[in-house]
Amino acid sequence: MGVLSNCVKPNFLGLLKCLNSLNWFIVFFSLINLSVCIYEDQIGKFDWRQTYVGRIKFSQFDTVSTAKKIIVATEENVLAALNLKTGQVVWRHVFESASTGNIQLLHVTEKVVTVSGSNPYLVRGWDSATGVLLWEWSLTLQNEDHVDFSEWWVQNNMLVHMVPIFGTHIEVTMYNVFNGQNKGASSKLPAPWTNEGCVLSAPYYTCISGDVSSGLLLSLDVTSDAVQLISRPLSEYVSLQSSYVNLSPLDGNSVIPGFTIDNRKIVIIKNNQLELLKVDVTDPSASVTVIESVNGPLVLQAWSDNDFSAVAHSVSTGSEVKELQWSDRELKLPDPEISSALCTKSSREQLVCRILVTAADDSTHLIQQDGRVVWSREEALSNVVAVEFVELPVSDLDAAIESEFDQKEGSIWAAFSRRLQTQIQQLQTIIQGLHKGEGMEEDATSPLVRDYFGLHKIIVLVTEVGKIFGMDNLSGAILWKYYEPNLDTEGVVVFTRRTARHPPNDAYLTVVGKHEESGNGLIISLNPITGALIGERLLQLDVQLLQVALLHKPDNEKLHALILLDKDENVQILPISAAPLVENMYMYVAEKTTATVHGYAILYDGKSLIAQKTWLTHLGGGPGSGHRIVTAARKAPGERVHSPGRGEIFDIDGGALVGRVNNTSLVHTDVVVATCVDAASGAVVAAQAHRRARALALAVHTEHYVAYLYYNDKHRRTEIATMELYEGKQRWLAAGAAFSSLESWRAPSVSRHAYVLPAAPSAAAATTTERSLTDKHILLALSSGAVVEVPWVYLEARRGVGPDLEGVVPPPPAPDVPLPAEARLNYNRTVARPERVYTAPAGLESTSLVLVTGLDLFYTRVAPSKTFDLLKDDFDYYLITIVLGALIVATYSTKYFASRKMLKLAWK
Amino acid sequence: MKQLISIFIAICTFCNVLCALNPLEEEVGNGRYVIEGKVFPPEEQDLGPWQVDTRIHINGGEYIGFIREDGTFVIHNVPSGSYVVEILHPDYMYEPIRVEINSKGKYRARKVNYIQTSQVIQVPYPLRLKALSKYRYFQMREQWRLTDFLFNPMVIMMVLPLLFIMILPKMMNDPETKEDFKQISNLAKMSEMPEMSEMFTTLFNRGAAAKPSTSKTKQIKKRQ
Repeated sequence: MGVLSNCVKPNFLGLLKCLNSLNWFIVFFSLINLSVCIYEDQIGKFDWRQTYVGRIKFSQFDTVSTAKKIIVATEENVLAALNLKTGQVVWRHVFESASTGNIQLLHVTEKVVTVSGSNPYLVRGWDSATGVLLWEWSLTLQNEDHVDFSEWWVQNNMLVHMVPIFGTHIEVTMYNVFNGQNKGASSKLPAPWTNEGCVLSAPYYTCISGDVSSGLLLSLDVTSDAVQLISRPLSEYVSLQSSYVNLSPLDGNSVIPGFTIDNRKIVIIKNNQLELLKVDVTDPSASVTVIESVNGPLVLQAWSDNDFSAVAHSVSTGSEVKELQWSDRELKLPDPEISSALCTKSSREQLVCRILVTAADDSTHLIQQDGRVVWSREEALSNVVAVEFVELPVSDLDAAIESEFDQKEGSIWAAFSRRLQTQIQQLQTIIQGLHKGEGMEEDATSPLVRDYFGLHKIIVLVTEVGKIFGMDNLSGAILWKYYEPNLDTEGVVVFTRRTARHPPNDAYLTVVGKHEESGNGLIISLNPITGALIGERLLQLDVQLLQVALLHKPDNEKLHALILLDKDENVQILPISAAPLVENMYMYVAEKTTATVHGYAILYDGKSLIAQKTWLTHLGGGPGSGHRIVTAARKAPGERVHSPGRGEIFDIDGGALVGRVNNTSLVHTDVVVATCVDAASGAVVAAQAHRRARALALAVHTEHYVAYLYYNDKHRRTEIATMELYEGKQRWLAAGAAFSSLESWRAPSVSRHAYVLPAAPSAAAATTTERSLTDKHILLALSSGAVVEVPWVYLEARRGVGPDLEGVVPPPPAPDVPLPAEARLNYNRTVARPERVYTAPAGLESTSLVLVTGLDLFYTRVAPSKTFDLLKDDFDYYLITIVLGALIVATYSTKYFASRKMLKLAWK
Repeated sequence: MKQLISIFIAICTFCNVLCALNPLEEEVGNGRYVIEGKVFPPEEQDLGPWQVDTRIHINGGEYIGFIREDGTFVIHNVPSGSYVVEILHPDYMYEPIRVEINSKGKYRARKVNYIQTSQVIQVPYPLRLKALSKYRYFQMREQWRLTDFLFNPMVIMMVLPLLFIMILPKMMNDPETKEDFKQISNLAKMSEMPEMSEMFTTLFNRGAAAKPSTSKTKQIKKRQ
């Protein structure tokens, strides 16, 4: 409107100016169109979302409401209701990820009660059917010393909080669950017999007092008004041979308070009496619980040695229940734990049980009484730490065609016969395809072969718990899984060492992590297509690793070797035979706490590999300065910058880009410093300090530029800053000459700018495409659950400067980065708690594949410059055929009429 | 409007009374405060339980609040400071609000302005938040319209010559225009521009003569 009112000035010059500014607007709007967004009918066509809840901490069956559900509270601070029949999430509430969201208690009746946080606590009541919050009150404990050992439970609409102070007393406080009103002050029960080995099986608190030989088993109902201590000699229950006896409470919301002694004997507390059950624990690793059934309470045990088994006994008689017993060889559940169980009687007087089992690999299974798995959830995927996109192999037919062209030798006749053979094969497959088409369409799932556009890939996901998944990127279906309990996934890296392009060799993927206990390197090599271990299989190193890199040159079998730098600065290479290939290899190690970066050159001296320290940079200005590295961003190892620019030698292609740096470090105090370090030479190429700011551990580095995010404390807003490296006005090197960081004697000119980001980001990544010809967009995952695509032109320093030499007009100057709703990749499919964004190139140059991890998984594909190499999916084939047909008809008819007219004219 | 204001005041005073009645809670929390407000559902109420889908993020998820059946929310245990309160709904947009709590426990709520951070536009506290609009995530599919078809440059290119062909001969019959046309053609002759087609034909003919290999093409032409 402002522009229009300016326009009404009568003079001509003003009009021209106004037109000029309008021009800006036109450009601006055309750029907005650039931000690709999908049509409404494309929902779910290119993308999928999977919702997870995390490893289940507490669970309880909701039997009251009509739609049967399981209410779960998880280690990821999520409260959710799962459909009993399908296992899908009915409703879900995501709490804070910090300790303030920790769920301490879940209690399900008609209403769901949760206690979350850690002093102050929040007590909330939820409607179990809809998930709507009913009430909420806060509770702050005065004495913070022993809060860590506090226990919570609900009893007769009273919330009971118990804190044992070991060796002296137990503090018990009761609150009204609905409003927090205190029923009298907290009572202190004298209990000098308490120690760390005590267990709570609400409302009884049980301890072993004294040493094993003369030990007493003491139990106390902490909620009763009269203090009645149950005391029994320990020798009544166990033969006292071991030096240490441990108690453990029963799992899975046991209906009768009880515990196991030494994982062997089960003791329940009934009528204020300890009662040893006639049933022993079958397996020391078994999970034991007591469930209610029509025939009285049952003791249910589940364990897995080679096969997953369960057995149930009657509490009163000790006899085995025949209906509730199974042993399953197929199901591999490491360390199963009964999370909750429910038994009812069906109409035909049969025992119907549902048992929710959680395993050490974070998977959750709902199992029927006969051992049939109703549904499973892979909750490990709520915590993905590393992702790799892997290409699929070509189909057999395509492979045959390719091999035909590979064979150069042989006479013309041999080539001709091969040609005929392959064509017969093709014909056969077409006929087979026709036959299949006539039959049932059972084989609806697309086979695992590469598609024409290279959009079909396998996503390999490494999860925090040590489970590795292979997932189909188009459907999101899990193809294979591999669980390695010893894998500590902190700082885990995944390398594709051989793609599926080299038949007959299989694709080869390596996961490098740490051993859970020793911290030594642990290397898992597998075939990403099938999930089978290959090559080095599971390799345990006897040393801790500092840095791992992939050799850029493949060996004879097209396998890229793995170079491992260990703590003693020794170098290993896998396989050893690839050692002579090492050349021009550089590595760097950034120490987070001291803010120092070491550079190494890896050299081959004819016998073995050695790591030579080449440079050292103190980013924080020397040790003890209190600086630390918040994040280090490096270029994706396979990234092309118009030419393979990797390792230390960069090719410069025509343009004016130079000084591509491999490492950005953000150093944190009140000052945020972003430093670009050349990873080969250690030279600081550019640096930028921001005062009164807090660093966010987010930085993106591709091509010749770096973008990083920080929180500006002065203005209380998030800002995104960019640094771009240019050669400057003059060309340094001849066009096409290789750039080497070791010979660069000029500093690149750096253009930098910071923009306001009106949102709270939690992850950032840049799109990647096959040949890096397409525009780059920055993908930002926001804490609100949105994933937003920001074209790089909005972050450039030259934004608003005016058209450049090539006539590209940047968007108008503005202090902020626009985040319109159309730029949201995941529209209303919110990703809860996004953590990382991974991108991978597709076979199509225009398209980049995107996976957002966090509590949920979201996959989509983006085309930063629109799909210029693909027909639009709404391309109207009918219209074009009709137009073509009509034109042909029109041509011939006019020809006919024209000839007739000519004839008539001639007759005249 | 007046009614609204009076309701505001009533709510404010009610809250104050509540705070006065319950001073213990705030003291207990060692300088911890609550942020409260009410969220109004979007106009179209076909969403089912919108309360479940709506979350309240304080400072990008540092604190998270949930909405009760009636739309009210309370975020407990917030120390004094400045907070951005965002109401997040997958389909509806709400305006974020900055709430500042000073060390004495005084509240001030204002609109969030990331660019001019010193600008203060106060809004009432406890917060009352209404859905601004529905998010527009999707592009509209282009629909087939006759006008679009007619004004398509391709179509115009085809239709206009057709019109010329049809209308020009008719116009030629008119004697005046004939005169005009003659004048125009005379003018064109005055300039004596070499004709384009002639130029090309001479050019190509020369080229054909120079290359003996084009004899094949001639043969083909003959066959045709």
